[in-house]
Amino acid sequence: MKMVTAFNGNMKKAAAGLRRINLEGLRWRVFDAKGQVLGRLASQIATVVQGKDKPTYAPNRDDGDMCIVLNAKDICVTGRKLTDKERTLKDQMAKDPTEVIRKAVLRMLPRNKLRDDRDRKLRIFPGSEHPFGDRPLEPYVMPPRSVREMRPRARRAMIRAQKKAEQQQQKADEMKKGKNGEVQEESA
Amino acid sequence: MNKGKIFKLAKGFRGRAKNCIRIARERVEKALQYSYRDRRNKKRDMRSLWIQRINAGTRLHGVNYGNFMHGLMKENIQLNRKVLSEISMHEPYSFKSLVDISRNTFPGNKNVVIPPRKVAI
Repeated sequence: MKMVTAFNGNMKKAAAGLRRINLEGLRWRVFDAKGQVLGRLASQIATVVQGKDKPTYAPNRDDGDMCIVLNAKDICVTGRKLTDKERTLKDQMAKDPTEVIRKAVLRMLPRNKLRDDRDRKLRIFPGSEHPFGDRPLEPYVMPPRSVREMRPRARRAMIRAQKKAEQQQQKADEMKKGKNGEVQEESA
Repeated sequence: MNKGKIFKLAKGFRGRAKNCIRIARERVEKALQYSYRDRRNKKRDMRSLWIQRINAGTRLHGVNYGNFMHGLMKENIQLNRKVLSEISMHEPYSFKSLVDISRNTFPGNKNVVIPPRKVAI
């Protein structure tokens, strides 16, 4: 685990408001956002932050675990969501990648008086370092996911793209082989 | 007499509703209606809360609520949800054995994971 020195920029923000949360007996779960789909990850985070994965859940008090999300800039979306819409996702990621996940999770939490407290339990970091290295952390394994089959048109397009890539690879190999062959003939 | 009773029921109300009879009368009537309705709603809410707790407890062991209850029904275990939620909170090992019974009767489903085609940012 890298230490705090690499993180001096945002230390204040990362540790903000920690004193207001009663941290007795809460676990620190680490979510790795690398290669995860945005919405599915956000729904899992929302269940953990609400405390709905504990059998001692009570709707009137906030008992969720602290959630740390790493690699926020490596989050993925399917389809063309990056460039759709007027306020594109790409611009937002350039501006502040943590806001994407934070908004996604915030909008999945129930709108009640506990929502702000739950928001305070979420810490998101764009890279993979965080200043909480000294706490007992627990990585979160995402539950297995069943993905639907690709639609026939998308599948055909992908196959065509693959074939094109293969052909280009072959051409590049042949070019190299051809050059080597000529050089050897000349020398011989 | 009536006023006295109404003010007694109006304790803790907001603003003039606890002091002025005209407003207090309306608010007290509404409060009694709400309490009638909520005596019935409370039973529903509590059952829903028990189900949420049982769901959380079983998911810790890899089974979801639906499959768990199905397995218990098949085995003719007639514990009700209130008791099951208490067991899941306070007696984790007994609960685990219940989950194992349910899983043996009715094996859970396995998920197939194919890496999806995603656009990386």
